[in-house]
Amino acid sequence: MYELLLNGLQDVMQTKYLLPLFIGTLVGVVGGALPGITNTMTVIMVLPFTFGLEPLQGLATMIGVYIGGESGGLITSCLLGIPGKPSSIATMFDGYPMSRKGEPGRALWLGIWASFFGGLLGAIFLVGATGPLASLALEFGPWEYFSLFVFALSMVAGLTGASITKGLLAGAIGLVVTVMGNDPVMGQVRLTLGIPWLEGGIPFLPVLIGVFAFSQMMSDLEKVRGKAVDPLAKVVVPKLVVSHAKVVWEILSRPVLLLWTSFIGLLIGVLPAIGGSAANVMAYDQAKKFSKRPEAFGTGTPEGIIASEAANNSNVGGSLVTIMAFGIPGDAVTAVMLGAMTIHGIQPGPLFISQEPKLAYGIFASYIIAHFIMVAILLVGVRWFLKIVMVPKSILVPVILVLCVVGAYALSNTMANIYVLLAFGVIGYLMVKAGLPLAPLILGVILGDQIEINLVRAIMTDANPWLFLTRPISGLLLVLSVASVAFALWQHQRHRGRPGAVQEDGADF
Amino acid sequence: MSKDRVTGLVALATSLVLFALTLDLKQSPLVPIGPGFYPRIVLGVTAVLAAALLAFDLLSRKRPAERRAANYGLVLASFSVFGVYVGLLPFLGFRIATLLFVAALQATIEPPKGWRGWAIVVATALVTTTSAYYIFERQLSVLLPRGRWTDF
Repeated sequence: MYELLLNGLQDVMQTKYLLPLFIGTLVGVVGGALPGITNTMTVIMVLPFTFGLEPLQGLATMIGVYIGGESGGLITSCLLGIPGKPSSIATMFDGYPMSRKGEPGRALWLGIWASFFGGLLGAIFLVGATGPLASLALEFGPWEYFSLFVFALSMVAGLTGASITKGLLAGAIGLVVTVMGNDPVMGQVRLTLGIPWLEGGIPFLPVLIGVFAFSQMMSDLEKVRGKAVDPLAKVVVPKLVVSHAKVVWEILSRPVLLLWTSFIGLLIGVLPAIGGSAANVMAYDQAKKFSKRPEAFGTGTPEGIIASEAANNSNVGGSLVTIMAFGIPGDAVTAVMLGAMTIHGIQPGPLFISQEPKLAYGIFASYIIAHFIMVAILLVGVRWFLKIVMVPKSILVPVILVLCVVGAYALSNTMANIYVLLAFGVIGYLMVKAGLPLAPLILGVILGDQIEINLVRAIMTDANPWLFLTRPISGLLLVLSVASVAFALWQHQRHRGRPGAVQEDGADF
Repeated sequence: MSKDRVTGLVALATSLVLFALTLDLKQSPLVPIGPGFYPRIVLGVTAVLAAALLAFDLLSRKRPAERRAANYGLVLASFSVFGVYVGLLPFLGFRIATLLFVAALQATIEPPKGWRGWAIVVATALVTTTSAYYIFERQLSVLLPRGRWTDF
């Protein structure tokens, strides 16, 4: 394993892989620093650029975006009090007060170094756990796969959004999308409503791009009043000089906090379709609960920054484990990566690490090296990235939408994908307005075909439906599915009526 | 009518219509499970969930939340501009349609003031279109839509 990892590191250190990884990380940091532009959006924008690249080049670019984006978000969180993206919200709770107390450099670099160490702890898990988990998944028959996918969907539906009914409904709508077009077993055309471009089915990437890009862009445009230029245009860059040795020691002298919050990030990452936004808030909450001085949280304590940033970077490692071992995206960013992999003819899942070891270990290596690149980029350019917030929405939105069109069209050089993009752009926006969470919808669209194929395969192998329950792993997964819904119901019941439990409109990623 | 009620009704109606359409699907002699088996399960579950959402909303006593003021006019205009762009793409081709789209959407989001404003709009549209064309089609060999009317 370590020899393969060493080979992977040597491969990625070649200019042809290192350059896309560097560019991806740089773009990720810039995207992360832009308030309102999530990692998903940045990776969607980068997607079409990867089509003409080798698979590892393309994936290295996306991993760079992912790591860069997780860290870039903390710049505006710490220095301006505006989270660059949802996964750096909790960083702001203490990062901004620390900056206002006159220590902006300390706040910023505590976050950056915590991201670095959290990310590297995530790498240990990523490298060590992917193989064994993939081996476990190799034992799965169609019953287990069916139950695993149902479990993933039920968990996401339960944990996202304020209403479990809406979460489940969004997941079911995602499954409905996949039943339109050819049936995956016999290829019979079904439920196309006479629309010719639906006959081949609805590809998930244009759906994902449309849903995420439009819901976010349009939700941002709703808030535009008069001049669309951000009022923060005149940003004053503070002095960011700091002793790095001191900051690193500040983090490493709190090993339990670093390990525990990185573990939380990993755990959230492994859970399907739940991203860094949940990881950083949960890690912050845990750090506060276990702290000897919980009252200091929110006033500029270093523990708050370390917890949040270590968790959101280790979260990436967890998400990559899920997609590489099971073929299930850990969050929306890995869902786009899954699409990029399929474009290059690569099928992530249990066989991936054994059939494509060069690529798999290249991904591990890219993930590790991206953290070093991220620190180097921020060392050089952090002052410049702070000025990124000056880019007005009137320029950003059209450029992003053009990249979405290119990304959707280039998948198969057909206008049908652009029609799907537009249709799901409208549907995604309406779903956000209706309070339906988008993560279950996307997971439903991604897993729908696999759920059907495995259900049919299981019944064709043995018509006894009880096998889904009597086979130990399958039964356990189905029990866990019910338990996750029950847990979510209990949690919603508990939170009902509490102040702050009001659901807001907005894209939930 | 509340948002949940509208959502529930739309989802329920759509799933029932699609469910009815699955009844026309032909059973395959080769496979014991026909192409309508799985869609019926999915659509049935969707209908039940939509009905549940509807029922919860009808039984709920909570008052609808106060709506935040939002610039829906701009959202509608932006969707319309994008829709026109998608409609024109196969006829004008990527380069012309994109140039027009980027300029139009910028002007929609933030109406330009004076010659400087218009210069920024035109420059952004030109840079976006030419760089996208150059990077994707020339450097990355990604084909972009050709126009039936313009032939490029």
